[in-house]
Amino acid sequence: MEHKLLTEHYHRDNYKTLEGYKSRGGYQTLKKTLSKKPEEIVSEVKESGLRGRGGAGFPTGVKWGFLPNNGEPRYLLCNADEGEPGTFKDRMMMERAPHQLIEGMLISAYAIKSKKSYIYLRGEYQKAYKILQEALKESYEAGYLGNKIMGTSFSHEMDIYLGAGAYICGEETGMISSLEGKKGQPKLKPPFPAVQGYLGKPTIVNNVETLAAVVPILRDGSKVYKSIGTEKSPGTKIFSLSGDVLKPGNYELPLGYSLKDLIYNLGGGLKPGRVLKAVIPGGSSVPVLNAEESGRALLDYESLNELGTFLGSGAVIVIDNSHSMMDILSIILEFYHHESCGQCTPCREGTGWISKIIKDVCKGEGVISDWHLIQKISENMMGRTICALSDAAAMPAISFVQKFRSDFEECLYSNGLPVKENVFSKGGI
Amino acid sequence: MLVKRLDVQKMRYLPSIIGGMKLTLKKFFMNLLFPKRRMTLNYPEEYYKYGSRFKGNHILTVKKDGSLRCTACMLCATNCPAHCIKIVASENEDPKVEKYPISYEIDMLRCIFCGFCEEACPVDAIRMGPQWQTPGLIGDNFVYDIRKLAYRKELGESGVVSLVDDKMRIKDGL
Amino acid sequence: MSNKKIKCQINGVAVEVQEGTTVIEAIKKLNQEIAHYCWHPGLSVAGVCRLCMVDIEGQDKLQIACNTKVQEGMVISNQSQKVKKAVRWGLEFHLINHPLDCPICDQAGECELQDQYMKFGTYTPTMAESKVKKRKVVDLGSKIVLDTERCILCSRCVRFTDEVTKTHELGIFNRGDRSEIGVFKDKPLENDYALNTVDICPVGALTSKDFRFKQRVWYMKTSSSICTGCSTGCNIFVDYNEEGLWRVRPRYNEKINGYWMCDKGRGLYRNSNRKNRMNESFEVRDSKWEAISSIQALENLKNLLSQKDQVAFVLTGQYTNEEYESLLKHFPKGSYYHWLNDEKQKKDFDGLLLRGDKNPNTSGLKKVFPKIKTWKDFEKNSSQFQWVFVLAPENHNFYTDLEEKTLVFSKCQKVVWMSVGFNKFLSPKEHFWQIPMKSFFEKTGEYTNFKGIKQKVQKVQTLVPQALCVEEFLKLLKGEKLDLKRTHPYFKNNQFLGKTEKLW
Repeated sequence: MEHKLLTEHYHRDNYKTLEGYKSRGGYQTLKKTLSKKPEEIVSEVKESGLRGRGGAGFPTGVKWGFLPNNGEPRYLLCNADEGEPGTFKDRMMMERAPHQLIEGMLISAYAIKSKKSYIYLRGEYQKAYKILQEALKESYEAGYLGNKIMGTSFSHEMDIYLGAGAYICGEETGMISSLEGKKGQPKLKPPFPAVQGYLGKPTIVNNVETLAAVVPILRDGSKVYKSIGTEKSPGTKIFSLSGDVLKPGNYELPLGYSLKDLIYNLGGGLKPGRVLKAVIPGGSSVPVLNAEESGRALLDYESLNELGTFLGSGAVIVIDNSHSMMDILSIILEFYHHESCGQCTPCREGTGWISKIIKDVCKGEGVISDWHLIQKISENMMGRTICALSDAAAMPAISFVQKFRSDFEECLYSNGLPVKENVFSKGGI
Repeated sequence: MLVKRLDVQKMRYLPSIIGGMKLTLKKFFMNLLFPKRRMTLNYPEEYYKYGSRFKGNHILTVKKDGSLRCTACMLCATNCPAHCIKIVASENEDPKVEKYPISYEIDMLRCIFCGFCEEACPVDAIRMGPQWQTPGLIGDNFVYDIRKLAYRKELGESGVVSLVDDKMRIKDGL
Repeated sequence: MSNKKIKCQINGVAVEVQEGTTVIEAIKKLNQEIAHYCWHPGLSVAGVCRLCMVDIEGQDKLQIACNTKVQEGMVISNQSQKVKKAVRWGLEFHLINHPLDCPICDQAGECELQDQYMKFGTYTPTMAESKVKKRKVVDLGSKIVLDTERCILCSRCVRFTDEVTKTHELGIFNRGDRSEIGVFKDKPLENDYALNTVDICPVGALTSKDFRFKQRVWYMKTSSSICTGCSTGCNIFVDYNEEGLWRVRPRYNEKINGYWMCDKGRGLYRNSNRKNRMNESFEVRDSKWEAISSIQALENLKNLLSQKDQVAFVLTGQYTNEEYESLLKHFPKGSYYHWLNDEKQKKDFDGLLLRGDKNPNTSGLKKVFPKIKTWKDFEKNSSQFQWVFVLAPENHNFYTDLEEKTLVFSKCQKVVWMSVGFNKFLSPKEHFWQIPMKSFFEKTGEYTNFKGIKQKVQKVQTLVPQALCVEEFLKLLKGEKLDLKRTHPYFKNNQFLGKTEKLW
């Protein structure tokens, strides 16, 4: 069943105001934390085994430990540029419980001794922007932000920065570039952001959900948090269920929950008469699972890795038999073609190339050798670029054509798929 | 001066003469009686027709609108073993054409008609035509310019239109 | 940076490099081949072409050589099948949207894309889709034309304007395979170093308007020389053929100009071409300039010049040290005056390379003639000399005061104007001469730059047979004959010259 650590009070209307948040025990954890030493908090988070909820799943405490101890100013950036197709968990959190994020950020900032943090918000999230702005104003007025927070020596400033809608700005270095006022393009690593990030200073970039999850960890202690979920992937995670299910939405589940249960119990199953064809378990950039694999998949980092896919941002997209997989692949690839920043050649040219091939296939103009060609191109795009966008395009491409060859051949031997209106050709989503 | 009588010894050349005359007369009468089997031509009045692939005087082909097809890449001039091609390139106002020759000269007296220029051309702009009788008295007339190479009378004033690979080239973005 | 040396192994060859060296620098040091576009030794690392892949032992992913620092005991290889495959595909990706207009492209022949494809490419393209169309022949200003289709987005030019000139005119617009290099409407690429972007462009995307379509690069030969545009003395390559000089490119010299040179220096080749030269000597007959041969002109001069005459020399810093020395040897008692392009701008410096002193050899001149008098002294005494010899500037257009100063000479009694180009301001009076001099391209000698670094120029080719250098001028003036000893090393053992080293 659902285990609500973060989403417990989302249904309450006044939870987004400071008053409502405080009445449910808000900012108590911050008060408790400010009496501890920052190092203690970092080790507490390290012990809890919290892993980044943005997609890569890197242990948060370890990431914080990378900061050099040279007295330079540090920055905390909250990655709220939720661009992964199928993901809408952060948006709900920012719209329903903005103070939860602010409290989490304050604790994290205190832990890494940062005096300035930014929330890099996705440009399309206008509603969340207004709510967050209101929440920030309230917090400043109540003294939770600004100079000498709650009477301690800790001071902190927080700002919201609205992105301009580029998917690549959700990548941490791309986000830093964008925040610096440059073109949103990922930077070369090394140096890593923890050493040289925003304005050349040590910077920590964390996802909204990760930062919010810091609050329950410090409220209940790392041991309680660790008891939830599996051994290697502790805690809860919000899954954004979408696609061909009857009850799509955000579900907070302990990690290690069965995918089948999520679809059929919580999600209400498929439409009558439909058969499950495939599931994308972690946003459009991860390899797809076919029906058989998704039946035995568990939603945690390790078990999905065993199936050759990733937990990603937790966007579970359910596909039933009314769709051709090639059609879905062509939409996914068109998206990555559109969003490639154009820096590295394999990604810039490769995404366009496979997207064109798969479009031809969908039109019925493909040839059988395209099946090999798509895989060859994708293999040579993987791991050859600065950021992971080219992998993100290549991984679904390979898995779609490999696992659904029958759909591919159907496109070839019939006269292609019925023509649908393409959202991208109209100039963006 | 005494005229010596030729003796028999010294008259041995006569059989060869007679043999030669026999052949000559045979050919003479054969040509006279069967003119179609003649091996020679009365050159200025009549001449031999070569095949269409004969490598004669050069032709610069043109596009449909009549402008030169040549892009002034100078590959023909580079490939020319006799160094008889001189091209001066210039910028075309049309960005799709970009570069074109403002002067294209072939020194016909230097040219050895090897056909390398035709082979080197990436856009089928130069061809070796069937025409080969171009006598003249002034050396300067043998330096052919664009007007002579592309629009001479024998080609029809509008030039030879080449359509080779046009569709492919448009698809490839050339 | 510390001077610590570290050892590593590249393709089986052990090599010792400084700490902080990147792998690509180490590979270049060994003169081994590695494919790359975006990396340029004079610019920062972008790491976007993804071609300089290397296999490092112990790392399962291929790394890019330009952003990987050599570490102690690293075993690096770029010959493995894995790397070769990656490079082949990298080139394939570069080429799928690259137009096939090599015949029109000016870069053909020196194009890195062509070179690298010949070395590392697949030769069997698999791309069957239509290419992305972009803008062609985009005007970036008065000097440069851009072809966005040919651009492979290595971002070298963008980094150049960001890091070297710091003028930030260029940028990459749009994203994905629709990316284009471009400038803003009101800010064209007009800085003094803009043409360097043409040199560093690995493909034919940026082309110089000056050189565009003039020559194919394979028709030209290249020689090394020194720029005579200002006292910096940048090292250059000159591309030339039998018709003359066509363009000038910078040559790497760590001490003087690095990888760059200014655009003003690039225009200097024009002065050496026949079209802009004085091709014969000129003498005044009936108040008109009449062309005569240099030998004849010098013969006439010799007959007029007597030992007792007062002779003044007006020197500019545009001649070689050897020429100044021979002048001093022949006329030890002459009066020498220094003519500088602009006294006020003498110390100007734009922070990169360009200096206000527009003479390549002012330091050398000052060294040979330590007590040389200034222009003002000459102006005062100009009437007292029977003869004025002017070693006039090679680069007329840098001397903005040319007309004004020529008027001063016009008042003198007998003037011998020695220059590369014809001076139209010099009024045709009796006993006035103009003698053609050799340009930097035609003589061997030494220039001393502002720092005191001596640099040699070699004679490459004679463009104007009538032109003389100062030594030859003085020899003819003395009545000696010119020996035809060839200075070019190639001609040293010329069998046709025989023992006398004379052709005829």
